[in-house]
Amino acid sequence: MVKMDLNLIIGGPQGGGIETAGLLAVKALAMDGLEVFADREYHSNIKGKHSYSHIRASDKRVRSIKYPVDFVAALDVESIATHYKDLKPGGVLIHDSALLDKSLLKLPPMEKKKAERLKAELDANRAGATVKELDEWLQRNGKVVLQYPFSKTILEKVKLDSQLIERAMNTALTTVLLRAAGMPLTKILEAVDSLFIDKAEARDLNRAVAGAVSDGFDELSGTKKLDIKILGQDRPPRGKRMLVAGNDAVAIGKLIGGLRLQTYYPITPAADESFVIEQHAKLLDSEGRAVGSPIVIQAEDEISAICMAIGGALTGVRSATCTSGPGFSLMVEGIGWAGMNEVPVVVTCYQRGGPSTGLPTRHSQSDLLFAINSGHGEFSRIVLASGSHEEAVDDAVKCMNLAERYQVPVIHLLDKGIANCVTTVDPPVFGAVERGKRAEKGTGEYLRFAFGDDPVSPRAYLGEELMWYTGDEHDELGHITEDPDTRRRMYEKRMAKREKILKEAPDGDKAVLYGDEGFEDLLVTWGVSTGAAIDALPELRSRGSRVAVLQVRMVEPFPADYISKFVSEANNVIGLEANYIGQLAELVGCNTGFRIRSRILKYTGRLITQDEVVNAYMRIKGGEERVVLTGGE
Amino acid sequence: MSTDWNSGVWPDWCPGCGNFGIFTALKGALSELGIMRERIVLVSGIGCSGKIPHFVKVPGVHTLHGRAIPFATGIKASNPELKVIVHGGDGDLLGIGMGHLIAMGRRNPDILVVIHNNGVYGLTKGQASPTLQLGRKTKSLAFPNINSAVNPILLGVASGYTFLARSYAYDIEHLKACLKQGISHSGAGILEVIQPCPTWNNLVTMDWVEKNTYRLKDWDPVVKDDEDAVRKAQGIIGLESGERKALGTILVDRRKETFGKRIASIYKNYAAEPPAAQRVEVEGKALPIDLEKTFPRFFIQ
Repeated sequence: MVKMDLNLIIGGPQGGGIETAGLLAVKALAMDGLEVFADREYHSNIKGKHSYSHIRASDKRVRSIKYPVDFVAALDVESIATHYKDLKPGGVLIHDSALLDKSLLKLPPMEKKKAERLKAELDANRAGATVKELDEWLQRNGKVVLQYPFSKTILEKVKLDSQLIERAMNTALTTVLLRAAGMPLTKILEAVDSLFIDKAEARDLNRAVAGAVSDGFDELSGTKKLDIKILGQDRPPRGKRMLVAGNDAVAIGKLIGGLRLQTYYPITPAADESFVIEQHAKLLDSEGRAVGSPIVIQAEDEISAICMAIGGALTGVRSATCTSGPGFSLMVEGIGWAGMNEVPVVVTCYQRGGPSTGLPTRHSQSDLLFAINSGHGEFSRIVLASGSHEEAVDDAVKCMNLAERYQVPVIHLLDKGIANCVTTVDPPVFGAVERGKRAEKGTGEYLRFAFGDDPVSPRAYLGEELMWYTGDEHDELGHITEDPDTRRRMYEKRMAKREKILKEAPDGDKAVLYGDEGFEDLLVTWGVSTGAAIDALPELRSRGSRVAVLQVRMVEPFPADYISKFVSEANNVIGLEANYIGQLAELVGCNTGFRIRSRILKYTGRLITQDEVVNAYMRIKGGEERVVLTGGE
Repeated sequence: MSTDWNSGVWPDWCPGCGNFGIFTALKGALSELGIMRERIVLVSGIGCSGKIPHFVKVPGVHTLHGRAIPFATGIKASNPELKVIVHGGDGDLLGIGMGHLIAMGRRNPDILVVIHNNGVYGLTKGQASPTLQLGRKTKSLAFPNINSAVNPILLGVASGYTFLARSYAYDIEHLKACLKQGISHSGAGILEVIQPCPTWNNLVTMDWVEKNTYRLKDWDPVVKDDEDAVRKAQGIIGLESGERKALGTILVDRRKETFGKRIASIYKNYAAEPPAAQRVEVEGKALPIDLEKTFPRFFIQ
């Protein structure tokens, strides 16, 4: 079996089928028996701006992307100009030969600063100013360029209308890319069939396009130089696997976990989750019988979304909403109400670049401190941060269980990386659905906020008993009070849940250690950055470092004792996260008294990559304290 | 009317507050409608009016400023068997929460919104509310009001409400009848209640109400067809343009589908098994959902 690690970039103008091109490649690679992890980078724009997928495939599990890459497949000149430098020695650039005479510097959609940077780079390298000149420069520098007459081939062989050619370019490009990597046409066609399973017309068109460009592939000059046969190998049979984005993963988890009301207001990168729930509103058993049906309500704003979800939760329905930074900001008052009223509601928050509108379509992990502190006053809440797609599924179930078990709002904290990256996962194993402590009927006057040994009072749903809720401080019945004694007791009842949660939480919910137990160095990280750290471990170890990764999962209440054990054992502790401050590192310091001095940080809106972790770690070992990462376009 | 509808919590409104009238009429309406107590939910916002659920012996949800409507919408959508009534002030529902009021008209859920309209923000010492007329100056204002007033009835027409009425807090019988009609109405309703605030609003007094309101007569509020709906809308603009405020039922439109029916058009078993009636576990385990059948497109062939 070939040990392989394939990285490829497919770029093009947004709205030009580039997303489909990426998906087709991801499907084909996954169907070829490989593990896939694909990052999608796009502008906050519908049509025209530069967008790309960075796809990584391997015969072992991958959780991050890596530079430099083996292939760059470009639909347009901006993609060539942006990504030519990402190619590794021997790497392959693929583009339409019709682009050869185009200038690299006259690209209206390209941002001015990027164009200036590009020009300086091309000048410094003497790489020319047209696609043709750059191709020649690349070839002089050990790269392979495949100039393929895509539009001509489609026009002549598929006989497509010239207006329709643009819509077929993505499949043409991806086909040649996959062929160049050694995949036979039959496998590409299987992926086409699977991608367009419900769209016969599109399927037939794309099959025809793939066939036509594949025919011409072997005659192409340049292919002789390709010595890549990494795809299309016979691989051992795999069990059933799924291909999901993080939005899909959370939606699936919520549905397994019994979600019956989802509310949302459209926002990137969260809205796809609600789409998925809407599209799978009929939950089927093995006989095809419906066993459940959640409803989804699109609210007029995020304030309404959180308030509707809380309303649903008061009726005993497992309710959740999902959003990103700006929407989460609006939900904060509602979260406080849920905290005050001990309401089990789940808020799924996908972080994106902030502050304000920030980088709406780009990655960030800068809302950790906000999530744990959101809302005025003090109240118990749980904030759980998933670090992978598998965790996202399981945690979605877990968040609903925890919400009902402790009767607190739960924030499921994710990031754009997880939301939009697509990866192969094993189907989830179903666990417990725990509904928490319920009130017994007919036991006299019901007290929604009854004092007792347990800070969690038996819960009745609206419609079952007399009960009152208020955002004001309240007595056991739920009526407004300003009595200092009741205030103190009710305050303590709410806050006592923090201790209870920490005491009862399994270690695996608090944090997970990856790597050598006898570590000397410890990378402390969270969210999608965890994947890059784990993927970097073998290389770091091969360089002689005894390093492990600690992924922190529960960030509120903070498992200080558990985390202390790990950080105090290490010689060097290094924070790794996608924000400026090092928010997790700060949180560890606040709670454990252990100051994490070394920090690897990134706030460009792009993912932390495996190679960046390796390089930054070596720089830290070389004496730097703060390493700021800048990779990716 | 039975005192059985008192929760036992002492209503802490100012003596003479219009809320007492609304409180009395509400208890009367609930009592006469004969709805099971536990099946009612009073949802309120913030301010003097927001306290009303605590005084009535039915389940109550005293929410955030301006947000009673989304809470109520979530409750009703999750458990359609509950009778959900929203109480809020004019500042709450027409100021900070107006977006929700409009959204509710578009959805047409089975919820009555009772607007306690006293023209001021009472609990914060009498600032101008969205219904205070331009150029008027209540006693706590430093200058006459520089904002024009919003008319909740016209807003209701524009937003798609299917029940609109106006009453007066001290006319208990009239208000009770309006409440009963509004609560029984299938769809979104606004009941505007003119409510004197004896502490802060020195303009809307009992005397003012006497002179500036009249009972609707010879007005058929029921919409018959599309053409009639246009006529009614025009008629309501006429009514609301008058010097004096009309009291009574202004609009009843039974033709529009409720939010519940609209949800059921997508989720076919919604009426039989709304979210609150669905089981989500079997003996502490997740339901036996077949992932490949339910989510086929995520599986790799």
